[in-house]
Amino acid sequence: MPSDITAHAEATQRRPRAAHMLGQNSGLILAAVILLLSIIGFAGMYWIQQGRLPGNFELTSTVNNTMPLALAALGQTMVVLTRGIDLSVGGIVDLANALAAIWLTGGVLNTIGISVVIVLIGAAAGLINGLLVGLGRLQPIVVTLATLSIFQGLAIRVLPQPGGAVPAGYTDFLVNTNEPTALIFLVIAVLGWMVLRRSRLGVGLFAIGNDEPSAIALGINAMRTKIGAYTIGGALYAVAGLFLAANATAGDATTGDSYTLTSIVAVVLGGVNLFGGRGSAVGAICGAFITTMIVNILFFAHINPLYQSFYEGLFLVVAVVVGGLIGRLVRGAR
Amino acid sequence: MTRLLPTGNVLRVLAAYCAAVLLFIIGELVHPGFASFASITSILLVASFVGLVAAGQCFVVLIGGIDLSVPWVLNAAAILMVTSSLGLDSRALYAIGLTLGMGALAGFANGAGVVWFGVPAVVMTLAMNGIMEGLALGLSGGMTCTACASYAPPVIQGAVHDVWLGVPAALWLWIAVIAVVSFVLGLTRFGRATYAIGNNARAAFLAGVNVDMTTVLLYVLSGIFSALAGILLVGFGGQASLGMGSPYLFQSIAAVVIGGVSILGGSGNYLGAAAGAVSLTALVSVLLALNMPDYGRSIIYGVVILALLLLYGREQRD
Repeated sequence: MPSDITAHAEATQRRPRAAHMLGQNSGLILAAVILLLSIIGFAGMYWIQQGRLPGNFELTSTVNNTMPLALAALGQTMVVLTRGIDLSVGGIVDLANALAAIWLTGGVLNTIGISVVIVLIGAAAGLINGLLVGLGRLQPIVVTLATLSIFQGLAIRVLPQPGGAVPAGYTDFLVNTNEPTALIFLVIAVLGWMVLRRSRLGVGLFAIGNDEPSAIALGINAMRTKIGAYTIGGALYAVAGLFLAANATAGDATTGDSYTLTSIVAVVLGGVNLFGGRGSAVGAICGAFITTMIVNILFFAHINPLYQSFYEGLFLVVAVVVGGLIGRLVRGAR
Repeated sequence: MTRLLPTGNVLRVLAAYCAAVLLFIIGELVHPGFASFASITSILLVASFVGLVAAGQCFVVLIGGIDLSVPWVLNAAAILMVTSSLGLDSRALYAIGLTLGMGALAGFANGAGVVWFGVPAVVMTLAMNGIMEGLALGLSGGMTCTACASYAPPVIQGAVHDVWLGVPAALWLWIAVIAVVSFVLGLTRFGRATYAIGNNARAAFLAGVNVDMTTVLLYVLSGIFSALAGILLVGFGGQASLGMGSPYLFQSIAAVVIGGVSILGGSGNYLGAAAGAVSLTALVSVLLALNMPDYGRSIIYGVVILALLLLYGREQRD
């Protein structure tokens, strides 16, 4: 990416390599530090309350509860990298969740087939967003606000009342309640990200997020890249919906709604720049875990759950402000 | 820009009004009596709540911002209105002042975050929505407090429902707001500064516009309008409830977009957004008259907005 190359050239003239690396990855490093602090905070709180450190059970339930958000945040990252934003996350999660509760009935092959179909439906929903943004040249925020309404409507049409059932084997496979095996899926996601990052699409994502006109001038197909980003995003939201259904062992066409907001929160906390061009899968996953840890900490601090969103909102603002300040300090004030 | 209607937008505003008229005609066809005077005024009354929120949304969208804190600023305002007035006329004025002040404060915090702390508008207002939600839920004990069951003071209820010259009073208020906002945006220094910032904040700054103060003030106005809508909504319904603000985020943004205000900022006006609010509400009413279930309404909502966007909301290639 041209801008990175020039930035790199400038930086090497002035500062040692380590400082440059720190500057380039400040968002990710900050996310990792916040995550570490929140884990320490949680462990400390837990120790005070329970007289021992959290163990395998706490780890497993935290991982399982975070899976849907981590996947939704990964999808949101794809879109945010292109300087877009996806508000339809909740609708696609809802739709996948509702379909899973209706269609999944048992039988290994059957279950795999249906899961694939649901993910493809999610990808198709994302493709619609992508076509409207990329081909239709419409603003992401209004397009996805409109499609959110459509997908939510479809989800309620599929599953008017909470219910349905997810086979027990499905829950065990995706979110094993005894061991944090779900982490394997996150490792797979990160590996997938590393491949994508080096592909034509991945380079395009960062390029158009940094400077769209230059990227186009250098032969990047901005339209195809955007369509790709929203489509992959849609598929990931659908996977999030499957995990949500597996967690709840049943379906609900509205529980996914909250993922629109929390995926943005996780992405921001994960050091993904909302103005595009900067961010990583690991960061987004860290952001998702931070979001869950905050809820855990508030719970163990005996904070009235009614105040939960107050603290979440406050934390989000403080994290962004402090993160911005630190990022500026690390990169060196000019 | 000294004209009330910048030329490029006349067509869009007209289109929004035509859409509203068309919807009333369709409504009359599928449900005779839909376009009667009483029915129209009641639809317009409902539209006025959307319209007031859309006024604030229009302000911030004109500078390329967005206010996602609408739902819970509105809801918190409604709760504060009933709990501080306790349904007494004698406390109504105090309660109104307090509630509008709270809206202004929330808006100020939004503006301060965006301008002085460099937080993106989407994140700042999203976080503010969470903060207001937490405060509203926590302080009211999840609407279980004794004062929470209070009704809006009769004066406020009267101010919404009473009919002056054949039109509900709240509608007169909206008409006044339309006139004032259009005047402010079209004919004052503040309005010109708003458009200038929306077109190019740096150029506006170099031209001597106080970009920071103007931006903060616009967010404050958005907070005040959300709070005002909250006050009128409790006046309309009598009591406050949790979640009453939720529909207004989608509807206010949709109204602004339907009314031809560019989501990137810099062009459009409130006359269009007001028409957007009317056509949106008329659409909902038509769908209700057709006994459309909730999910169907939700889907059609989205489709209509996409269709309108494709018709005239496309980004210009520059």
